[in-house]
Amino acid sequence: MKGFLQIHDPLKPKGSVVGIDLGTTNSLVAAVINGKPTCLPADEGGSMLLPSVVHYAANGSVLVGRHAFDVLPEFPTDTIKSVKRFMGKSVDDLETKKLGAYKFAGGKGVVRFDVAGGQPVTAIEVSGEILRQLKRRAESHFAGKVEQAVITVPAYFDDAQRQATKDAGRLAGLEVLRLLNEPTAAALAYGLDKGVQGLYAVYDLGGGTFDISVLELIDGVFQVKSVGGDSALGGDDFDRVIVQKLLDARGINAPTNSQIATLLQQARAAKERLTDAAQTELVFEGTPFPITRADFNEWIKPLLAKTGNSVRRALKDAGVTAADVKGVVLVGGSTRVPAVRDYVAEQFGQPALADIDPDQVVALGAAIQADLLTNEDRKDEVLLLDVIPLSLGLETMGGVAEKLIPRNSSIPIAQAQIFTTFQDGQTGMDIHVVQGERELVADNRSLARFRLSGIPPMAAGMGRVQVTFRVDADGILSVSAKEETTGIEQLITVKPTHGLSDEEIEQMLLDSIDHAEDDMQARMLAEQRVEAERLLLDGAKQLFENGDLLSREERAELEKQFVRLERLKKIETNHEALKAAITEIDTLARPFVEKIMDRAIGAAAVGQRVEDF
Amino acid sequence: MTHFELFNLAPSVDLDVKALEDLHRKLSLESHPDRLPGDADARTRRLAAEKSAALNDAVKTLKDPVKRAFYVLELKGVKLDTEQAAAKVKMPMEFLEEIMERREALEGAKAGRKLEAAQAMAKEIREAQRIALTLAQDSLRKDDVATATQALGRVRYYTRFLEEVDAFEEELSS
Repeated sequence: MKGFLQIHDPLKPKGSVVGIDLGTTNSLVAAVINGKPTCLPADEGGSMLLPSVVHYAANGSVLVGRHAFDVLPEFPTDTIKSVKRFMGKSVDDLETKKLGAYKFAGGKGVVRFDVAGGQPVTAIEVSGEILRQLKRRAESHFAGKVEQAVITVPAYFDDAQRQATKDAGRLAGLEVLRLLNEPTAAALAYGLDKGVQGLYAVYDLGGGTFDISVLELIDGVFQVKSVGGDSALGGDDFDRVIVQKLLDARGINAPTNSQIATLLQQARAAKERLTDAAQTELVFEGTPFPITRADFNEWIKPLLAKTGNSVRRALKDAGVTAADVKGVVLVGGSTRVPAVRDYVAEQFGQPALADIDPDQVVALGAAIQADLLTNEDRKDEVLLLDVIPLSLGLETMGGVAEKLIPRNSSIPIAQAQIFTTFQDGQTGMDIHVVQGERELVADNRSLARFRLSGIPPMAAGMGRVQVTFRVDADGILSVSAKEETTGIEQLITVKPTHGLSDEEIEQMLLDSIDHAEDDMQARMLAEQRVEAERLLLDGAKQLFENGDLLSREERAELEKQFVRLERLKKIETNHEALKAAITEIDTLARPFVEKIMDRAIGAAAVGQRVEDF
Repeated sequence: MTHFELFNLAPSVDLDVKALEDLHRKLSLESHPDRLPGDADARTRRLAAEKSAALNDAVKTLKDPVKRAFYVLELKGVKLDTEQAAAKVKMPMEFLEEIMERREALEGAKAGRKLEAAQAMAKEIREAQRIALTLAQDSLRKDDVATATQALGRVRYYTRFLEEVDAFEEELSS
């Protein structure tokens, strides 16, 4: 059947391609179907939104989505929500500690959640579960394989966060065609759907991240001019503000995990009600706590002001003013909050565009990009030119960060710089790669450290090392260093500091590969064992009844083969090897079968049919 | 290949940025790896990525008048764009003293978290930078490398000063 599929669609041997919005609060999967980007059902009941919640049960089973969300108050430490906030973070990140009521497993480096039912899990694995679920849903929608995806990330994600997202895709069995910035995806959905041209801003306030992008759409090129944002600011913070106000009002200083989990859910529901209602209340421990929209607007003002700073900076980086912007696209569920819309309108002096569902627009854009990258008929339609969100640099003398690639450079990009030795006889050079805008290394994100060794001893200043940074179209960095006189070169993919090593990913991949493949193998093996058993039974019967037709040697050989098959039947785990052995013995026995047939005909007795032997 | 050659332009401090960006878009459409057919081999993809990266790097340098002037000077044999390279250019003592004083004043404003004071200093420096850049451009047009080097040496200090003010603004607003 595979052959037929390939004849019909030779360019898509890997099945359908999808776009995935791996969100902090909800995740979605979309595909271009008959030329139209469409979100696919992602959760029970046909909902397009899969809550990004993963529950690890004591019996080792894993729940994803609405079901996991429902058990969150009961199992606050075994149910991971907003895992996106932990992507690419280490246990030492301050932010990690203030997020939720989780139990963290010991050890340095990457965050591991202690959950029920087995080993501690990393944020990458938790995200991998969400992606795997989306992949399965898409596969059942298409009744076929889905192996390639464009996955979106906040534009403001740093290298470690991007790498972690890509690794999560690999764990879920997806080839990640591209990591696409969320606002860029949204702009793509608007651009291709609504035919916009000119300078646009995308204001993306999700559950846990805020992004602002300034893009120019001209002549088939979507060029990102600048991005900005805050990878730890979103609608979840609105919920937290509500909870904090309630706790303050009630004088509760040390709430329990379960209280917080319950309150956060109620706060979120209250926030959503305030989109349409002027006031609402949440009931906590039997007593109502009323909230007016005006209160809520006042409480979130400082958070909105933070987004305003990012907006101004992004405009400045793009070399434009708010007045140059032709339209503002709203993305993310949190832009449903009326105060957010008012704030954006005020910042840009115009009401924002929201005619594509802000929850779906990113996934739709990702599906479009997946289609553009794989559909040969659409290759000429549009090109995306994205940027890196944060400057990349190296540590130099005195702990100062020297920028090699400034933020908002178009990608892919490469940049080289020569560093010279500063001591006589220096044979090694430590290279410390950092990301961020601050002057001092200590204030930036440390991405990786490595040492270039083997520089021949020379006078200070004579050894010259060329360090090259390459950022690919996914925004992921690789660094190489080359000593110029000897040509010694070292290449590293920047990931060790906050991520998992390739080996760890491989191991997880082996451990977590869908059992579908194993099940298939097991079934085919079982079939061959039955086949072998049948051959052995028939063979023994025929040897007993008609063994005199064979010479001693022939008989000995056949018996030897039966013994071999008996053994293979028990120990062989490869169904193809077993099948080959069966075929071999069957062929060897053919002359014997023919003699039996002749005797049977001669005796006018009905023997076995050849096929039955 | 120089950044100018990539765009088939003569090296010059004078450049129509709008036309450059149009050209960058056009060439990107021709060379970006995303435009390759699905069955393109690894080598073709790598070459396309390199070409694309070179175009992105070139446009970044050329569209900014300050970076462009440094680059034109570099093509004339004087490299000023890194700490180590710049250290080889001797600047007049009075200038260095003046810059030191201004930086001390900026440090003071930063310590006192006085944004407006820092912005007022930035305004003066921006004007000084503009004048120095104009001188550098004029000298480069006349092929007067020595004057251009001195002028861009000043621009370099001014730029660093302005970057520091920017970083301070960002720090205060985050």
